[in-house]
Amino acid sequence: MTRSDELLGRAKGGATVEFRQVSKHYARSANGQPIAAVRDLSLVVQPGEICVLVGPSGCGKTTSLKMVNRLIEPTSGQILIDGVDVMTVDPVALRRRIGYVIQQVGLFPHRTIAENIATVPELVGWPKAKIRARVDELIALVGLDPASYRDRYPSQLSGGERQRIGVARAMAIEPPLMLMDEPFGAVDPIVRERLQNEFLDLQRRLGLTVLFVTHDIDEAIKLGTRVAVFEQGGTIAQYSPPAELLMRPATDYVARFVGSDRALKRLAVMRLADLRLSPVSSAGEGPVFSAETNVRDALAALLLAPRAAGTVVDSSGVPIGVVTMETIASAVQPVAASLE
Amino acid sequence: MTLLGAVWAWLTNSVHWQGSDGIPTRIAEHLWISGVSVFIALVVALPLGLLIGHTNRGALVTVSIMNVGRALPSLAFLAFALPASFALNLGLGFWPTVIALVPLAIPLMLVNTYAAIRGVDPDLVEAARGMGMRELEVLGKVEVPVALPLIIAGIRNAAVTVVATATLGALVAGGGLGRYIVDGLARQDYARLLAGAILVALLSITTEVAFAVIERLVVSPGLRLDRERLALPDAGGAR
Amino acid sequence: MTIQGEPLVRFDWIGNNLGLIGERLWEHIFLTVLAVGLGLAISFGLSLAIRWNGRLYLPITSIAGVLYTIPSLALFALLVPFTGLSILTAEIGLVSYTLLILTRNIVGGLEGVPADAREAAIGMGYTARQLLLRVELPLALPVIIAGVRVATVTTIGLVTVTALIGQGGLGQFILQGIQRFFYTPLVVGAVLSIALAIAADALLVGLQRAVAPWTAVKR
Repeated sequence: MTRSDELLGRAKGGATVEFRQVSKHYARSANGQPIAAVRDLSLVVQPGEICVLVGPSGCGKTTSLKMVNRLIEPTSGQILIDGVDVMTVDPVALRRRIGYVIQQVGLFPHRTIAENIATVPELVGWPKAKIRARVDELIALVGLDPASYRDRYPSQLSGGERQRIGVARAMAIEPPLMLMDEPFGAVDPIVRERLQNEFLDLQRRLGLTVLFVTHDIDEAIKLGTRVAVFEQGGTIAQYSPPAELLMRPATDYVARFVGSDRALKRLAVMRLADLRLSPVSSAGEGPVFSAETNVRDALAALLLAPRAAGTVVDSSGVPIGVVTMETIASAVQPVAASLE
Repeated sequence: MTLLGAVWAWLTNSVHWQGSDGIPTRIAEHLWISGVSVFIALVVALPLGLLIGHTNRGALVTVSIMNVGRALPSLAFLAFALPASFALNLGLGFWPTVIALVPLAIPLMLVNTYAAIRGVDPDLVEAARGMGMRELEVLGKVEVPVALPLIIAGIRNAAVTVVATATLGALVAGGGLGRYIVDGLARQDYARLLAGAILVALLSITTEVAFAVIERLVVSPGLRLDRERLALPDAGGAR
Repeated sequence: MTIQGEPLVRFDWIGNNLGLIGERLWEHIFLTVLAVGLGLAISFGLSLAIRWNGRLYLPITSIAGVLYTIPSLALFALLVPFTGLSILTAEIGLVSYTLLILTRNIVGGLEGVPADAREAAIGMGYTARQLLLRVELPLALPVIIAGVRVATVTTIGLVTVTALIGQGGLGQFILQGIQRFFYTPLVVGAVLSIALAIAADALLVGLQRAVAPWTAVKR
């Protein structure tokens, strides 16, 4: 137990996760040959980052995730959380300190929302009053009303509400690390968008480290601090921040995987403040944008604006530059060139 | 006097409500034999069903054997129980009946318990493990509560079958309500026969209802959406 | 092996009574086939009625369910004053027990027919009758036969109980053995009725494969 108390023992802030040459083989009885689900995986996730593992189905991304909380054990290599090898820690204690959310949510149908969220606090023996307070806090944290949701059962919730409660349950004891396996995969696109935004906001406020599995490249680009693109056979084709992934795909496979519209995707991860803007002219130019607006939205607005130019203002409303089609085009040229 | 009148007269005759052949004694005997048999079967079948359901080890063999057991005629159980009871020097009456009823009840409980645990959504089990539950906690806090409606359905089916078959215990000099039927047939005393039949039928239906009430009390309301599917009695098991 | 001086099986008794054993076995099969056959016919009628009006499902299955819950001996006993110690009494009871299983499986089997197969058949111009006979019934057959299997095995067991009302086929051996503490007929009756149940089940599994070869992979 001492080992696990020391591991992930802090109350706040994210953990560091490191994969060191991790492999997982499954022996197949058909021909006796071991089949690699994950091959020689090495990557580091810094505290407070969202590391998205993305790739086609069967590429080993979920296996990689489950090796972190030892639902699956690696054949070779090491996984370190804050420098401690997970294989040296009691798996039960380890899992209680790591939040875990899966696509089907896995809310327990026989327990109320409050009881579901209280699962891990109960397992680790929190006093009742503390659990009660924490449950209400969490329901509110994921944007629902504690008074009206506390005593409901999962079957009485919508898909989106279940996902929120799933996230709340995983965060019950403020884990410094969350593992999320396609957590927003089972809800409709509009709800997914909203859940993603709320989750990003929550994650930034709490400074959690997150490992996030998805097969949706758009979700990866939107949420990831860094994105690991897996290819068939359990190897990583590229591990980099989303912008770099879009601008400089390391291989043809990555280029194909991110899609031919990656220039547009790249615009969506850039803010106007990141562009080299033209100097402000005396006359106000076209529509006014906040410097935080993403470039894709700005482009959409410019296409409809009469003079194809707009004024960018900072948070206090002071103009800091002018954005034009040319400004945007020059920002994505490297991508356009590599598309040839 | 019509037959129904005779039955009514028999049932309301105060002589039939006292003594060692009185209705209260016979009902008590019937419930005692059934209760002991269900309890013994429960002690054997429940842990075994939970174990093979949770681990899925030895499931194929166990379930195959149990399915054969489910197909056996109830009178055949009694047929084998009689020599078995004599061989063990347990005599007539109570023990041969129990020896017949226990193996009759075990397969009904075991197969249902196993199937109920196997039927729990694997995502729930994974979520439970992923949150750091130990194997016993996964079983006790997630699998059993979620599988409870089906587990109870199995126990109910076994209990009703046992109450029904305990009637046959009268053939091996057991007590219980079957006494009235067997004696009524032997003496061509149709009032006794019909009264016995009505009492046994009522006891069976009461058992069924009692378990439905138990199920309602112990099963989480969160699972009630599944109720309709589970309310159907399990096919099989001759009574 | 002997129990308190009496051997479990006296083979000379078996040898001397082969004719009787065959007779009782035949009687047992006859009572079973008659009950399942009649049960199937009635259940089929009930199922068609349910298809005609779905609201009949609950009342029909509820009544069949209550019949099923009543202990067999009690049900036979209830009938004796009216129909005597006759084959009629036995058959009324036996048929009653098949109704729940068979009706539920026939209705379930017909409902389980994929909607696209049904739609395609209607689209190709099948009449309601042709649809039932050529598409729905063949596709529902595996489920229906599964019901017949359960009903048959159950009935074989229940036929032994009818020995108490003077019928019973092999059950008469069991009853005779119990009443006289004579184990040989008891063992013969029990073993043969179990063997009959297993054989009937195997036969119906074979039938299921033969009439619905597409289900052979699954069980």
